[in-house]
Amino acid sequence: MPKVSLRLRTLVATSALSAFVAFAFVSVAGAWSLEEAAAPYKGVTIRTIGEALPPLEAMKKLAPEFEKRTGITVEIEMYEHSEAVSKVMLDLNSHRGRYDFIIQPHRELGKFVTNGHVEPVEDFMTSATLRDPEFKPEEQLYQRLWKEISWYDGKAYGFPFTALTMYEWYRSDLLNDPKEKEGFKAKYGYDLGPAQDWKQYRDIAEWFTRPDQQLYGTALQGKRHEALWYEWLNFLYSFGGDMLDVKSGSECGPVIVNSPQAIAATEYYKGLMKFSPPDTLNYFWDDVMALMQQGKVAELIMWNDATYAVAVDETASTVVGKMGFDLVPQGDGGKVAQVEGWTYLVPTDSKNKEAAYLFIQWMMAYDQQLNQHLNGGATARPDVYASADVQKLPYAKASMQSNEVARPKPTIPQSSEMTDILVRELSSYLADEKSAKEALDQSAKEISALLGSCAPMKYPVQ
Amino acid sequence: MNKANRPLRGQLILDRGASLPLILPATLLVVVFLVGPFYYMAYTAMTDLSFANPDQKGAFVGFDNFRKLVRDDPIFWSSFWLTIRFVVASVAIEFVLGFLLALLIWRFIERQRLLTTLLLVPVMLAPVAVGLIWRLLLQGDFGMATYYLRAIGLLSPQSAVFSTPSLVMPTIVAIDVWQWTPFVTLIILAGLMSLPRSPFEAATMDGAAPWRLFVDILLPLLRPIIALVLLLRGIDAFKEFDKVFIMTGGGPGTVSELLSIYAYRVNFKNWNLGYGAAVSFMVYLVVLILCSVFYKAMYWKSAAARA
Repeated sequence: MPKVSLRLRTLVATSALSAFVAFAFVSVAGAWSLEEAAAPYKGVTIRTIGEALPPLEAMKKLAPEFEKRTGITVEIEMYEHSEAVSKVMLDLNSHRGRYDFIIQPHRELGKFVTNGHVEPVEDFMTSATLRDPEFKPEEQLYQRLWKEISWYDGKAYGFPFTALTMYEWYRSDLLNDPKEKEGFKAKYGYDLGPAQDWKQYRDIAEWFTRPDQQLYGTALQGKRHEALWYEWLNFLYSFGGDMLDVKSGSECGPVIVNSPQAIAATEYYKGLMKFSPPDTLNYFWDDVMALMQQGKVAELIMWNDATYAVAVDETASTVVGKMGFDLVPQGDGGKVAQVEGWTYLVPTDSKNKEAAYLFIQWMMAYDQQLNQHLNGGATARPDVYASADVQKLPYAKASMQSNEVARPKPTIPQSSEMTDILVRELSSYLADEKSAKEALDQSAKEISALLGSCAPMKYPVQ
Repeated sequence: MNKANRPLRGQLILDRGASLPLILPATLLVVVFLVGPFYYMAYTAMTDLSFANPDQKGAFVGFDNFRKLVRDDPIFWSSFWLTIRFVVASVAIEFVLGFLLALLIWRFIERQRLLTTLLLVPVMLAPVAVGLIWRLLLQGDFGMATYYLRAIGLLSPQSAVFSTPSLVMPTIVAIDVWQWTPFVTLIILAGLMSLPRSPFEAATMDGAAPWRLFVDILLPLLRPIIALVLLLRGIDAFKEFDKVFIMTGGGPGTVSELLSIYAYRVNFKNWNLGYGAAVSFMVYLVVLILCSVFYKAMYWKSAAARA
């Protein structure tokens, strides 16, 4: 047979094979359906755990649709923040495999990954039978948020359940009141409006502190609780400080928590205590949210997953239609926000990993994300933020803006202990047990000792 | 034991055969739930086990954790002394008030059953419920107790109990006294009701004054009951956790960080289980010493009384 003819034959055969493979792939992709993918797991029950807040409640309301389509039963356990974290730790370390997937704050990620407790999602994502071709997290999610919340050391371990940031909440009715505007301008020499810097923030807090009218300028989350640390981080970042001198959450690096910027931020933070209600050293996020719902506070810095209950839910809030939202005021650190996501993860000991992945993937789809977001969620999908329904929410713009400038925080295995050290020392400072410098120096010493040689103190303590 | 009181060999064998199945379930329970976990805790205290740090897989470190605890951990010591102060203050007040209340009921109240039932309500509440109740009552914005404290001028309008560091521990002691004084009353009242009448009648016939009756007859007769109630309350107060955790979480600062709260933080916040077991072991050790001192004191007093 002539040479040309052989080439032609080879070409034809290769083309035919390619066409067949392409056709097969397209038909498989086109034919992918949740019902078929879930068929092998029909009758299975998958169990998960998370924090008892609106996003999880919204998921619970959505789950029956998944159950109906797949025959997989979804059990959701809801607990208070710390309880949800400690129950997971005990389950993972006892290797009981009680939870088929877990929803956890991303600061815990390093601990889970380095101890081999969670599965990378790569295997699920490359499985033709499990992967929904329509699910493209590399295109559909805010990449920075996904990588901050669900990745560790360059590898994806899940998808964001919520992409939480904190921003400024203010009473727009008070700030737009002509009488208030007039009085404020007379006293401070500039127009009253949402605070853009920390001087304005303090002035507004001072102006509206009227204990005789049951109104306070702000409300600090001063209880010895993680809430104190989270709130303080906004001040720290905005003043140009940080805890470690690193570029990503999974890195270890020099300790800078006692930098001059950090000390200034901490002193400023405590300075706001006099504009906060008397019980401020006993408040965490639930308390300040309740105060805002009761209309007792003019401005504060708070989480985006709590905005719905204050700005939209008329059954719970007296200030619906009276709220405004903006980025955290700017300091030397520029426009910043601190991100704390809760992430879906599949434990290594999960007994139904594939069924759990199918549920997670289904929850990440646009329709479910939109529904969850409108009911108090905080999605990591920009297309959901772009929807007309979401744009109607009074906090949509602030949420989007803060997502864009959110800073990473440590997710290394020792991050919980770092948090605990800082919570204790910050609380000691607020309780007048020590000065800001003493508290942060002590924190720096302990964090440096905890992390070892990778974390020398950039500002050595005498 | 004299020869007459000694059991016969046959009886012993018979008894051994019968008693073994009877005591086995209880023994198993004690071994599985008390002895086993205790030895495991003691072993864990000598390891570097951490659920957080992958490099600490539970290697044996001897007494390193105890050394660090005793020499290099100022928070442990401040928590320890705070706990001791809490135990002494709360148990002393509970004992004095409980004793007085028991005497009052014993001498002057006829319908003791109804009163003691009512008195026992705080004791019957779970500590978590007590913590939640008082957290709400003393909440700075809408707490009912806060409102009345401000109304009568005991609290300034610009302060709140759990946000004022100097008020936190006295309040926690007061709440513990509120909850546990009835328990002390009940035990001492039971002791008073079981006292024999004859020593009192004899002393009265001899012309003893009420004070002498109290000091020389009532108190010595009640000594075992008093020791028991102090021991029980001392151990319980030393382990206090739930109420304080719910009300203050150990704050503000370290103002209410009792030893049990510190142990909780090390174990279940930081997951440093080796070191946490050492902290827990120290709690156990102090309780053990307390028990031993009380038993010794009781035995010494009883022996002295017999002599």
